[in-house]
Amino acid sequence: MIKVEQVVRDYQAGETVVKALKGVSLEIGDGEFVSIAGPSGSGKTTLLNLIGCIDALDSGEILIDGVKVTSMDKKEKTTYRRNNLGFIFQTYNLIPVLSAYENVSFVLSILNLPEAEIHQRTMAILREVGLQGMEDRRPSRLSGGQQQRIAIARALVKNPRIVLADEPTANLDSKTGQEILKLMKAMNEKYHTTFIFSTHDQMVMDFADRLILLHDGNIISDERRSV
Amino acid sequence: MKFIVELALKNLARYKRRTIITAIAIAVGLMMYIIVDSMLIGAEYESMRNLRWYETSSARILDSGYWENRMQLPLDKNIAQPYRIIEELRDEGFVGTPRTTFSADMILSSEDFGEEGNLPVLITAIDPRTDNDVFRFEDTLIEGRFLRPGEDAVVLGSWFAEDLGAKVGYWVTLVTRGNGGFYEAMDLQVVGIVNCPNPNVNRTLVMMPIDTAGDYLAMDGAATEINILLPDSKDANGYLVEIQSIIDQSDDNLAVYSWEALAKDYLAIAEAKRGGTGVILFLVFIIAAVGISNTMLMAIYERIRELGMMRALGMTDSAIHMAFIIEAGGIGLIGSIFGVIFGAFGNFFLVNYGINFGMIMRDMDMGYRIQSVLKGAWNPSAIIIAFLAGFILSMLVAWIPTRRALKMDIPACLRHQ
Repeated sequence: MIKVEQVVRDYQAGETVVKALKGVSLEIGDGEFVSIAGPSGSGKTTLLNLIGCIDALDSGEILIDGVKVTSMDKKEKTTYRRNNLGFIFQTYNLIPVLSAYENVSFVLSILNLPEAEIHQRTMAILREVGLQGMEDRRPSRLSGGQQQRIAIARALVKNPRIVLADEPTANLDSKTGQEILKLMKAMNEKYHTTFIFSTHDQMVMDFADRLILLHDGNIISDERRSV
Repeated sequence: MKFIVELALKNLARYKRRTIITAIAIAVGLMMYIIVDSMLIGAEYESMRNLRWYETSSARILDSGYWENRMQLPLDKNIAQPYRIIEELRDEGFVGTPRTTFSADMILSSEDFGEEGNLPVLITAIDPRTDNDVFRFEDTLIEGRFLRPGEDAVVLGSWFAEDLGAKVGYWVTLVTRGNGGFYEAMDLQVVGIVNCPNPNVNRTLVMMPIDTAGDYLAMDGAATEINILLPDSKDANGYLVEIQSIIDQSDDNLAVYSWEALAKDYLAIAEAKRGGTGVILFLVFIIAAVGISNTMLMAIYERIRELGMMRALGMTDSAIHMAFIIEAGGIGLIGSIFGVIFGAFGNFFLVNYGINFGMIMRDMDMGYRIQSVLKGAWNPSAIIIAFLAGFILSMLVAWIPTRRALKMDIPACLRHQ
């Protein structure tokens, strides 16, 4: 369970202060498939970053399974992210010198798992995202959709409780974007992993079980729907 | 850890051109250091040897009064019975030879030299029978013959002869003041020319027989100095103490001086040049540091987003730091290995064949007592230092830019273009 309570986040942009989030509150339950939508500058990415413990809030509180994010120091946040969170980025952010296999397996390497388990889990997830036979390819030899599949595999391979995806389909054509969303949905249903993704694309919003609309740092609507 | 090392090595290979260029910069720097160090050590070693062989000998006995006024070359502050002392030294196993040094005006006649002229010179009067026991001039004769006792003759250094336009058979006149202050003139024939490896000597050398000089200068068998050859030994001071005790029995006013005391000026210059080696080393390190720092800075800033992603996924800052340091260490290691190989290769030729600096040394006094070919010397410690410095320094200079990058917020890293 993720609980966001009156979260405020301001940024300094030169001389001006940008109010990215103006007292946002929400709750997201385990296994939800949530889309945070809104126009550019509405605070979607900021909210994802705060839930992902990679940004610090100015006031308010975020509780993840009852643990206050503000009470964690840098080291604890790193450990928390390592063990519980998966990230999917708009631009994939794969390591170009590593193969598809290595880009996925390194997440398990930093968890210090045995080599055999790393291999078995990496191969299994690559199979599930449809990249079997492409393990040795470097990102430069894969299409955008295939690269995002690696990013999804990387996010899911450690069985995280929450996956945060920042505009995961923004760099993909609509057909590939749909395939990626279907894949994410399938993973959500199979592993009961909580997916929270930001978007401003209507097609992506339509995929979500729950749609939270942000505008100018405020939630203007929060609706659950059946897809 | 395995992943970190693998990632670092793959990144090394990813930026092949940059890795190679930086490694070459480090290699060239280290090679330069090894070669310059070798040249300086070789020059210093050869200079010290040439000082002892052609200038100071291993040790010199002088009258204390002479030592105090040595710039004036006082003939009256002499060693009255040099051969008796040499005899006593020989009984104790030491080899010595007397010399008298005095200044004179050398007058050149138009008959031999084409035009009249005169110049101040320093004359070294030697005993041709024993001088070669201590010094090595006889081996350097390139024209004519060496001096014979009692003759009115001189031997000149080849550069000095060249400057004068002197040839074997020419006559010169020396005008000087004898022991007691009277004026004396002597006509001497050039009988030989030596090419002394010590440029300071070769540039000014005028030698004549000590008995001939003694007659002209009224030395009455005295000499101004006794030069001694000592075996190469770490315990030179022990020999000096022994010699001092021998000469104390003959004359209280005599004292023995080591070649280091006689060549104090040269040693001071050599010391300063050693300091210069440190500066060269420092500059080499700066070159290597700037090169590797620049490379790592570019590598890190190109990978800020990648770095942000790794941090977001839970990789610790220390692990990321380690990956970049290993990468920098890899460049340093490649550069150091090639630097040492190139340095050793260059040094092999330097040690065995040397570089001929004859053209420079002829017209320029660099302080070193080397006339032409400068050979290097192996210095294993310099090679080890160069290797370790290149390797360790590379890792050190990667520390700062990585630390700066890791201070950025993760969202800022992820937004980085």
